[in-house]
Amino acid sequence: MVSIEAEPRPRPRRRGIQDTRGYRVFRVVNGIVLTLVVLVTLYPFVNIVARSMSHESYLIAGEVNLVPRGFTLDTYQLLMSDSLFWTNYRNTVFYTVTATVVSIVLTTCYAYVLSKKQLKGRGALVGIAVFTMFFTGGLIPNYVLVTSLGLKNSVWAIALPNAINVFNLLVMKAFFESLPGDLEEAAAVDGLNTYGILWRIVLPLSKAIVATMVLFYAVAFWNSWFAAFLYLDRQELWPVTVYLRNLIAGATGAENVGAISEANEVQAEATLKAVTIVLTTLPILLVYPFVQRYFVRGIMLGAVKG
Amino acid sequence: MFRRSWRHLAMAAAALLAVSSVAACSGDSADSQDLSENRAGAMADYAVGTQFKATEPVSFSVLYNNHPNYPLKNDWLFWSELTSRTNVTLEPVAVPLSDYNQKRSLLIGAGDAPLLIPKTYPPDVHAYVSSGAILPVSDYLDLMPNLKDKIEKWNLQPELDTLRQADGKFYLLPGLHEKPWHEYSLVVRTDILDELNLAVPKTWDDVYTMLKAMKAAYPDTIPFSDRYSQPNPAGNLLNLLALSYGLQGAGWNFQHVSWNANAQRFEYTGATEQYRQMLQYLNRLVAEKLLDPESFTQTDDLARQKLANSRSFVISGNAQALVNDYRPDLAATNPKAKVTKIPLPVGPAGEINPASRLENGMMISSKARDSKNFVAMMQFVDWLWYSDAGQEFARWGVEGQTFVKDGSGKHTLAPDVDMIGLNAGAPKHLQKDFGFANGVFSYGGKPELVQAFFSAEEQEFQQVMNARPPKSPPPPYPLSDEEREQVSLWETPLKDHVYQATLQFVLGQRDFAQWDAYVGELKGKNMDSYLSTVNEAYQRYRDQNN
Repeated sequence: MVSIEAEPRPRPRRRGIQDTRGYRVFRVVNGIVLTLVVLVTLYPFVNIVARSMSHESYLIAGEVNLVPRGFTLDTYQLLMSDSLFWTNYRNTVFYTVTATVVSIVLTTCYAYVLSKKQLKGRGALVGIAVFTMFFTGGLIPNYVLVTSLGLKNSVWAIALPNAINVFNLLVMKAFFESLPGDLEEAAAVDGLNTYGILWRIVLPLSKAIVATMVLFYAVAFWNSWFAAFLYLDRQELWPVTVYLRNLIAGATGAENVGAISEANEVQAEATLKAVTIVLTTLPILLVYPFVQRYFVRGIMLGAVKG
Repeated sequence: MFRRSWRHLAMAAAALLAVSSVAACSGDSADSQDLSENRAGAMADYAVGTQFKATEPVSFSVLYNNHPNYPLKNDWLFWSELTSRTNVTLEPVAVPLSDYNQKRSLLIGAGDAPLLIPKTYPPDVHAYVSSGAILPVSDYLDLMPNLKDKIEKWNLQPELDTLRQADGKFYLLPGLHEKPWHEYSLVVRTDILDELNLAVPKTWDDVYTMLKAMKAAYPDTIPFSDRYSQPNPAGNLLNLLALSYGLQGAGWNFQHVSWNANAQRFEYTGATEQYRQMLQYLNRLVAEKLLDPESFTQTDDLARQKLANSRSFVISGNAQALVNDYRPDLAATNPKAKVTKIPLPVGPAGEINPASRLENGMMISSKARDSKNFVAMMQFVDWLWYSDAGQEFARWGVEGQTFVKDGSGKHTLAPDVDMIGLNAGAPKHLQKDFGFANGVFSYGGKPELVQAFFSAEEQEFQQVMNARPPKSPPPPYPLSDEEREQVSLWETPLKDHVYQATLQFVLGQRDFAQWDAYVGELKGKNMDSYLSTVNEAYQRYRDQNN
């Protein structure tokens, strides 16, 4: 889970009144502490990037810190020369986009309905959703269900069973509840039907929460491998997470004991984990800065009233 | 982490539930030996030495463990040649190797498993037996002449008996080795041996002497710093010692009971006199600063670093670790260094080869029994996995295309085919481009076959080990479901306590004078009940089968 922090507010300054000594000390300490926090959180990532580009002998000797030693991109090349890697990477993008779109549509509709206080049976509808947070059907029943619905080996096996995340649903519901009802009433008076209200009035006001949900869902689907592992029986259908997970297991496992790996596999074994982390986190990491501002505000708004 | 373990738990619980509900519905079939309805495609005169070919085209689904080093390809010569030789088409269900066991449980639990379920290790079978989802293959060995022939010729019956369940049947067709295949031993810096004029140690006492001499020459080092301590301390070292002291196994091969041939009963491994002696041996190494106390806790990487930086000279390993880890490590830090894997040091149990001659093997779904092609399928399995021709095909491929054979029957790869760098630079790869030497289809067999792609030095190691008599397997003691459940409740506390005490004794935190107190503590954790359950099961099995 990503930590949520409020944007620091600039302290209003008035001329003539100086900061107290205590406050100035606080600011310096604060700066130092926060800088340390940044370094501590950044270090592992930089270290991983450095490891992914280092020669294995330096990794073995434990000599790689922030800068790659014995710079090499062999493992990247090895990975990227495999057409299956690209097929699976494309799958990941496709699955993430499809599943996120499905999730956003379904979650928005459900949350909007639940936000209407006058709805009869609202409690029961919320209850049904919350129930699934605490109880699940179990793995095998789920598997049998998905299989007998004919979803196996298709994107729907990934997108549909996990389409509504209840936590996200509740956050979104709280956000919709915080929108002033008067707006919708006015729209209704002006002749919009329910869907028109949702589409033209509510959603444009909810960009913040929608962006936040897109981020939540996209990250979750990007990282997920378990559903794909369960329901996809052909390697051309796997997302890149399953591909890389398998690759790591193969490089570190004991399948070929007694035999000798080829030289490039030795290098791969040493750096594979780091390369994998870089390749899978980088794209989704790049999405963050663009959504970050919505992300902070969205939660704030939802949380105030929820 | 939490999510993972939760999933495993949920998986296990769900598998149990589903499996038991499947069991409830499946009655006993009327007559397991009446196969007249199941002979479609089968050969009437199939026997040892016969090339199996189904009389009509048939296809069987197979669970496929997809190895990332040679990912599944549909255009492999393996598939097409297999079909043309046997008239059988295999339909693989690809499962990533990383989570093969999980998917296998799921598919069996959901009743969705393929007919053939290879790559299953003997202990994994227990979970499925009571469900009825797995075929008791021991009832159908008559359909498998090659398998029977190998069991008899290689005298594997005692090993096979260890697979039997409480009903006296076994549910796994294991991989069979003519000779045991022992992999792990100690890896030693031979350049230091040469420098100090030391011979390669033959016994554990020689190992002590060698370490002593290394310590004398390099007082700053701790000559032996071991790895393989996750998740259990010194997994390999404890196991090697336990085997050398005549026990069933310890460390990463932790065996609660060991067979005492003199007393004709099972004893608790961690409470035996031999176990005490081996701990005393280790304690002496630690006390004299010959064995790094961190050996029992450090990560593999740390142990490798110590070896690479010449802060230690001895470490555990197998051929793979030697070639993939230690040599490249040392080549980078100390080009003059030489390391080799020494034959397993001999202990009080004398010269033995402690490895098992059984390997992972195949389960067959019970539903296969109802197929009209059942007999053909068993014949096919027998041919591909157990006949000489089938094993040669699965490992080497097609003569003239992927390999050539000289007059003496020695196999050589075709010049344009590579495998483990034997023909480095060749355009094709035996596994990646042809699908042979595939872990799903090729394992076990004669030593020549098993060791086909071993390095010369590993073959030499195996020759030394093969000259030693194989360790005879303990007698079977199949437990009933209730007994298994009961002993598994006792196992974890017992094991934890043995590990804890092992470390305390070895590291000198506990005096050996307290050994009896320690055995008493084990008794407090139901050691005696455990032993009597096992010994009763042994008696029961013996009475029923003699």
